[in-house]
Amino acid sequence: MDIRLIVEEVAASYGTRNVFAAVSVELCAGETMVVSGQNGSGKSTFLRLLAGLQRADAGQITYLAGNEAFDPRDAGHLIGWVAPDLMLYRDLTARENLRFFAAVRRISLDDHAIDEVLARVGLAGRSDDRLAAYSSGMTQRMRYAYALIHHPPVLLLDEPTVTLDERGAEVVDTVINAQRRHGIVVIATNDPRELRYGDLVLEFGST
Amino acid sequence: MVQQMAQVGKLLIGLWMAGVTIVMFLVIPQYEGLGNAGRIIIMHVPTAWVSVLAFAISAIFSGLYLWKRNPTYDDYAVAAAEGGFLFTALATVTGMIFSQVVWGIYWNWDPRQTSIFVLLLIYAALFALRSAIDDVQRRRQLSAVYSLFAFVTVPFLIFVAPRIADSTLHPNCVFIQGSTCDGITLDVGKIGLLGDRKIQLIALEREGDLVTAEVIVSEPGLSSETTLRPSFNLATGTMADRPEFPGVRYQLGLEYVDPSITSGLLNIEAPGTGVLDNRITLFTFLASIAGFTALFFWMLNLRANLLGLQWALAQRDGGRV
Amino acid sequence: MAGHSSTEQDPGLTLTTQQPVAQQRIVDLLQAAWAVFVKDLRIELRTRYAINAMVLFAACTAMMVSIGTTFIGLRRTEEALLIQASLLWIALLFAAISGLSRGFVHEEETRTLAALRLAAPAIAVYLGKFLLNLALLALLGLITSLLFIVLVRVQVGSPLAFLGMLAAGGLSLATSTTILAAIITRASFKNALFAVLAFPLLVPPLIIAIQGTAATLADGGGVVALPALQFLIAYSVAMFVASLLLFRFVWEA
Repeated sequence: MDIRLIVEEVAASYGTRNVFAAVSVELCAGETMVVSGQNGSGKSTFLRLLAGLQRADAGQITYLAGNEAFDPRDAGHLIGWVAPDLMLYRDLTARENLRFFAAVRRISLDDHAIDEVLARVGLAGRSDDRLAAYSSGMTQRMRYAYALIHHPPVLLLDEPTVTLDERGAEVVDTVINAQRRHGIVVIATNDPRELRYGDLVLEFGST
Repeated sequence: MVQQMAQVGKLLIGLWMAGVTIVMFLVIPQYEGLGNAGRIIIMHVPTAWVSVLAFAISAIFSGLYLWKRNPTYDDYAVAAAEGGFLFTALATVTGMIFSQVVWGIYWNWDPRQTSIFVLLLIYAALFALRSAIDDVQRRRQLSAVYSLFAFVTVPFLIFVAPRIADSTLHPNCVFIQGSTCDGITLDVGKIGLLGDRKIQLIALEREGDLVTAEVIVSEPGLSSETTLRPSFNLATGTMADRPEFPGVRYQLGLEYVDPSITSGLLNIEAPGTGVLDNRITLFTFLASIAGFTALFFWMLNLRANLLGLQWALAQRDGGRV
Repeated sequence: MAGHSSTEQDPGLTLTTQQPVAQQRIVDLLQAAWAVFVKDLRIELRTRYAINAMVLFAACTAMMVSIGTTFIGLRRTEEALLIQASLLWIALLFAAISGLSRGFVHEEETRTLAALRLAAPAIAVYLGKFLLNLALLALLGLITSLLFIVLVRVQVGSPLAFLGMLAAGGLSLATSTTILAAIITRASFKNALFAVLAFPLLVPPLIIAIQGTAATLADGGGVVALPALQFLIAYSVAMFVASLLLFRFVWEA
């Protein structure tokens, strides 16, 4: 599917403190953008704005999918978001979590498909454990499973490999490379190994 | 130019309210049974009206804020709520004073008291909510939602009002044109309810043109009974003697007696019935309503501008609000 | 606005695509709402935070009332019935306040709000939580009235009307507090604030519910309670519609 992300003059602030002002950028399918900058420069906030979890103080963010335009707040079906502050239900098992999110997204996901997704992120065999029993690395893997079940054309990754081991980082590498072929990837990171993904680098802060 | 007009407007409101106050205390006549306490209605009813108006205006600006997301609308919604809270408190206090003087109790959970109590609670809840949310945008949005949501309950309060108390202290038949207190027609020896008082017509005695009724009155919840003797003049067709119920300034009137003198129409006569029949009082009353309304809008504008200024300053300094 | 339905529609669902799109969206919404409800119910049954708090609260209140009143040996006067109805609704109200915010507050505490916001339509979330609160209230209502019948010697003259009042009162409670629970999740002092926000909105339905319930405790009170029932249902409908219209603003705040 043809997908475009248009960011026009977007600004964000916390209370009265401006985090960033007037960011404009445009991304098409197949493009990857890396957002970097020191801590507190607004990388995560920018990704939250793109995910529609927060409202921009000024400016406009639009997703164009096919012939339709979406405000980020209505574009949940286009977006997969992975971030340290993404949490899933700790009292449910991995399988129950994915089954629930598939149900509210109105996509069919049978047990076989769930096993497939969990195998893809390296959680095969732990699908019937509650998330409360997961380590932080496994939690991060689970976030990818959550973000990928609906095959979103846009992936928003905030610190994609945080707490992951070597194997986990490889999983993320596979996911990003697969996504870049047909969709948009936005990565917020300061990790030099991840900066190389960017067709485009947006540098925040120090202004 | 605009500033000058605002100055003139401010002055006018001040003079107007001063005039209303002077007339209220010095010009309008006293009312039979109410004494000087009756003058408080010139303040009480307009403040009550403004507190409801303020609530509606706050809800309207809350809706506008959700629609347009202009912080100015939120400033106005807050200012209206603050002003409304003040006037609600004033209406409650003036009402309680009047109630104590005239009816002998401060609080009765009568319909209008219940409504204004709920209004006070809603305002208080709104302020509590605002102070509990740190993020400015979120605070504005959530309090706007609460304000609108609470406003939905208003029609139900109005509907509920007449049902929660059989009797109301609020003198509808005194102040509101068109509403009546019908009273009750009793045969000799029969028992009936007048408001929440049980009354029994023991006897009717005729002396010349004067018919005197002997009535036993039982106060609600009290075992004590009192005998009252209201009378009726057959020749003129008017009430003669109207004794007061014990402890309150309501009177028991004998409004009519049938020609055979076997039954009579007994009714509560609120003191000051027809207060607004007096021209001067009516005009003072209306002037007071207009004055309070203007005062409220002036306060609303002033406070909203101040809030806007505060916000602009805070933003310029990059400080915290 | 375009639908929330995913681009990866399951082929099994295309069967329904001949129906008008709007109808399909409503069905999707209701099914998503049901999924939210089932998820919350499952979590609630595993953790039992809300149920424990509410039932314990109701039990304690019933015990206290029982200790305080059984010695009096109230005659079944109109006043006695009103007092019993008031005590019953006080127990119900405070137990409900202690548990009804749970659905949303739990999402905030486990920081799952963002995941839910991205995946579920706002209205579906509201409806799911509303159903959960209804279920909790149904359970609470039954347990509390049983406790009152057993411990406080409340005699129900018109059982059917009594159940009706309980249901209508519970409906009013759920419709007026579910959106408030969503509002307070983003605030500090959540539980105290919940009570403060809820109470003014609950005054009208509670007055009516208490009077109606008192009527149903008497024999043949069903007819007397009918206007109260109508009022509570009208109130619930108004609050429900207002919630549906306003919830989006809360959810996106």
